[in-house]
Amino acid sequence: MSIAINAISKRFGDFVALDNLQLDIASGELLALLGPSGCGKTTLLRIIAGLETPDQGQILFHGEDATDTHVRERQVGFVFQHYALFRHMTVFENVAFGLRVRPKKTRPSETEIKRKVHELLSLVQLDWLADRYPAQLSGGQRQRIALARALAVEPKVLLLDEPFGALDTKVRKELRRWLRRLHDEMHITSVFVTHDQEEALEVADRVVVMNKGKIEQIGTPEQVYDAPATPFVYQFLGDVNLFHSRVHDGWAEVGAARFAAEAGDSDKAVVYVRPHEIELSRVATDKAIAGVISHSRLLGATVRLEVDVKDAEVVEVELTRERYQEGGWQVGEPVWLNPREARVYPAA
Amino acid sequence: MAFKQHSVLPGFKLSLGYTLLYLSLIVLLPLAALIIKTSHLDWAAFWSIVTEPRVMASYKVTFGTSLLAALINLVFGLLIAWVLVRYPFPGKRLVDALVDLPFALPTAVAGIALATIYAPNGWIGQWFEPLGLKIAFTPLGIVLALTFITLPFVVRTVQPVLQDLEKELEEAAASLGATRGQVFYKIIVPTILPALLTGFAMAFARAIGEYGSVIFIAGNMPYVSEITPLMIISKLEQYDYLGATAIACVMLAVSFALLLVINGLQWWTAKRLGRRK
Repeated sequence: MSIAINAISKRFGDFVALDNLQLDIASGELLALLGPSGCGKTTLLRIIAGLETPDQGQILFHGEDATDTHVRERQVGFVFQHYALFRHMTVFENVAFGLRVRPKKTRPSETEIKRKVHELLSLVQLDWLADRYPAQLSGGQRQRIALARALAVEPKVLLLDEPFGALDTKVRKELRRWLRRLHDEMHITSVFVTHDQEEALEVADRVVVMNKGKIEQIGTPEQVYDAPATPFVYQFLGDVNLFHSRVHDGWAEVGAARFAAEAGDSDKAVVYVRPHEIELSRVATDKAIAGVISHSRLLGATVRLEVDVKDAEVVEVELTRERYQEGGWQVGEPVWLNPREARVYPAA
Repeated sequence: MAFKQHSVLPGFKLSLGYTLLYLSLIVLLPLAALIIKTSHLDWAAFWSIVTEPRVMASYKVTFGTSLLAALINLVFGLLIAWVLVRYPFPGKRLVDALVDLPFALPTAVAGIALATIYAPNGWIGQWFEPLGLKIAFTPLGIVLALTFITLPFVVRTVQPVLQDLEKELEEAAASLGATRGQVFYKIIVPTILPALLTGFAMAFARAIGEYGSVIFIAGNMPYVSEITPLMIISKLEQYDYLGATAIACVMLAVSFALLLVINGLQWWTAKRLGRRK
């Protein structure tokens, strides 16, 4: 089912959580709402679910106005960050809950409920835990049960609020791949909220980057990563080095290096360079930035160097381990930095 | 020793020793004395004292009215706790403080005040008199006094649990299609049930032992509105110490059994809820 979010605004007291937001979600897509905490992404998700009402604007489900529809009737499945499983019920009863609370006329028979719950439990690969209580499960298992519970009512839309936020890194990675596979099988329109850019880029069909109640950019993971529309998006999607500069005749200068600037001339501009897009060299070239290696840190397969540059903050450079060993770089050594890619934005 | 455990907190032996000594002196010693004193009676004499018709009637009054009062507070205590936790309203802190008043007020004062108001010529009593309903000086009056005295127990045990109840549980249930009623019966009640039972048990136990407030409003008519504590007092006034302790022993045994049952029930529900995360 497609969802249209039409000029939605929401305030909490003086705080503007959502500011005139416009967003279309296609039927069957997996969409990520990405942004720092307080950017309004969870509020937006809760408004889509009907757990929160917007001050202004409309929510359309499949072209029909659902703004005033109660969460009970919206047919959305909601998965909470902290699972929100019913502690006094077994896993089986948790998943069966949505079927059991139906009015008598539409409630399935006991055998039908049993069949359905076991089917869902095998879908999340936890059929063997049916008689346990939530307190006896691990975090990852609880979240999968919460998902099975949400799917039991055959929702038209699946909404997930930081579904993997409370899990440790390894489980989180496993679960997001599993969610992606699940979505590929079921094709249910899904929206999930996250502050983890890696998660959003890995799982989603499209990513919506939000900041301060507004949408910064909407696009596929490749689009938002390779062609960030705003400095915020560039900064938020990965590590970044920042140089202050100014644009003159279409060029921004940083030390001896020059970068093409799409924006017009301005006195103040910022140049962003990603740490892995910088080449190190021992030979001075006319387009390189001079500095001294002040630190090196091994991060598994990559090595991160900190380089002190005159008139700038510390610049981070990321190398693969092989490149680092081939180069034989030493702390204290003078080097020249050649950025391969850079983006120039007018400074705010 | 087998039960000794290593702990980062020092002073285990000292604090445990103190706890045991304290409980022995304050709780166990008087109770033991009561039982020892009673054991001077032979079985037949004991039995005839505790099954005397007037005493039997007083058991009915005491346990019946106490149960009723505790049940009333189970319902209305939950309601008060619910309102105090869920809704903001002006004067909320004042209402919150008022709940504790029955704890602070001398029970005799409560008894006299209630008796005056609900007497056939009192402020409220006069409206019930023409309807043929007497409140003061009947078992109904006893229920009223006990309800007043035990009001805080259910409120104060349920309130914090209700406060901690995750909003998300209700939201999850609603998103799964549950109505408000279903959310209440299937999600909220099971979660607060242990606290409700604890409050109920404490209110009940307190009501059984209540003397001060009841005595003024009960009317103390033999076979109708005499409570068991009054039977003990009247035996004492006749210097019948053995008779008094015999009845006291029965009270002790019944109270203990009731607390045991209710705590068992509470333990069972808490176990079903599992550990909190």
